[in-house]
Amino acid sequence: MVRVLGWLVMAFAVAPREVTQGNVQRIMYVHVPLILASYLAFGVLAVASLVYLVRRDPGADRLAHASGEVGVMFVGLGIATGSIWGKPTWGTWWTWDARLTSVAILFVMYLGYLLLRGTIEDPERAARYCAVLGIVAALDVPLVHFSVYWWRTLHQPPSLMKPGGFAGSSSILWPLLVNLVAFALLYAYLVARRVRLLRAEAEATA
Amino acid sequence: MSYARRALAVAWKDLAVERRSKETLNALVFFSLLLLFVFQFTLGGDRERLAAVLPGVLWLGFVLSALLALGRTFLVEREHDCWEGLLLAPGDKSAIYLGKLAGNLALMLVVEALVLGLFVVFFDIDLGRALPGLLVVVALGTLGLASVGTLFAAMTANVRARELLFPVLLLPVQVPILLATVKATEALLLGEPLGAVAHWVKLLVAADTVYLVVSLLTFDVVLEG
Amino acid sequence: MPDNWGFVAAAYGLTAAVLLWYWRRLAKKERELERVNAGSETTVAERSREPSKTGHPRPEPSPRTPLQ
Repeated sequence: MVRVLGWLVMAFAVAPREVTQGNVQRIMYVHVPLILASYLAFGVLAVASLVYLVRRDPGADRLAHASGEVGVMFVGLGIATGSIWGKPTWGTWWTWDARLTSVAILFVMYLGYLLLRGTIEDPERAARYCAVLGIVAALDVPLVHFSVYWWRTLHQPPSLMKPGGFAGSSSILWPLLVNLVAFALLYAYLVARRVRLLRAEAEATA
Repeated sequence: MSYARRALAVAWKDLAVERRSKETLNALVFFSLLLLFVFQFTLGGDRERLAAVLPGVLWLGFVLSALLALGRTFLVEREHDCWEGLLLAPGDKSAIYLGKLAGNLALMLVVEALVLGLFVVFFDIDLGRALPGLLVVVALGTLGLASVGTLFAAMTANVRARELLFPVLLLPVQVPILLATVKATEALLLGEPLGAVAHWVKLLVAADTVYLVVSLLTFDVVLEG
Repeated sequence: MPDNWGFVAAAYGLTAAVLLWYWRRLAKKERELERVNAGSETTVAERSREPSKTGHPRPEPSPRTPLQ
């Protein structure tokens, strides 16, 4: 059943494509949902980490692990697609404006999370340490957000680069919303499958 | 032994070890001197350019020294097989955290004072009115670095590729501290009063509070095994 | 504005490629795990059917690695 949902999700992701302001804007339909879905992933990671520390439930640890993997993949893709979108529209692959900088920091933080997981062999210790890191990272996110935002906007002209600031045209909004749901479902499907695999791996080595 | 006594005992032990061997302190002093020379070689010719990047360069020196110092927090325990001793210590393990933190803070502040002194001398900086504000910013920034740094040092103490993983984990998390301290230092060195950078100071205080509380609460978990 | 279809294709293509890679990696690991389970199922079943010699309950194999 979950597999059917997965296929449906992919179909939806490709379908909505109407756009009027230059076709490059279509990249937004994958870029924005990828970034937002990664935020969802990291939120789930934070909650699961907290649950693990309190209850020591290995299921919570598996959820955090899977969510971290999918989250890092999504945010990495989000940055890449954003960069690809930026080259023709802004003329540059990268710029240090507030949003891009924050997301880049997020990517590196959670990549570190995965590295920590990979480095510790004992599964119980890995679970504990990663839960602590997950909570530190989550609490750091608002601090990162504010510091970067102030860095870019105080005593400095605000960044003019806003990928196609749309005035809420509905022909753009609907495909975007559909894709948002699609990627959220894709996230859920991938995480569910990864958690299942993790549990099977744990049972096999027990 | 009461909580405070235990924390102090850890700090005192570390500082005593350091005072006798001076291993870490010496390494950090020479390292800072080296940084100074490198900065001078690359930027020293153009005074204006140097003045513009000085705050960043100063904190780069602080952070690199901090990484070295913090990374070695649990070196003694590891090398002399005392790790299990830490794990088996009775009572609230967060006392150990505070002790280690105090030791790290002392070490880092000494090195930072040294680096700052060297900068003032070699780059002819006029600290003057900026000094009190600068001290506040440096103290807050150092606390931020050391608080999470001590926790992460414990986490990476026994893993493979410890030297690589520690900075990889610490630096992204410390970005708010880096941004706030550099921007505040920049403003202060330009002659602005501390009030002008109040928002950065508030961010540093908020960050330090969050980091300290989380580290105190989770250190026990890290030292479970 | 020029069409820049190349960029659009690159973005969508990259996304699809990475997602597909991840999906296939999951599938491969699942298949490997099934093979391992099928292989060891027979031996586990044999061992559990034998009665314990001392009469004590058979201890579970420890999942935890010794303290480093």
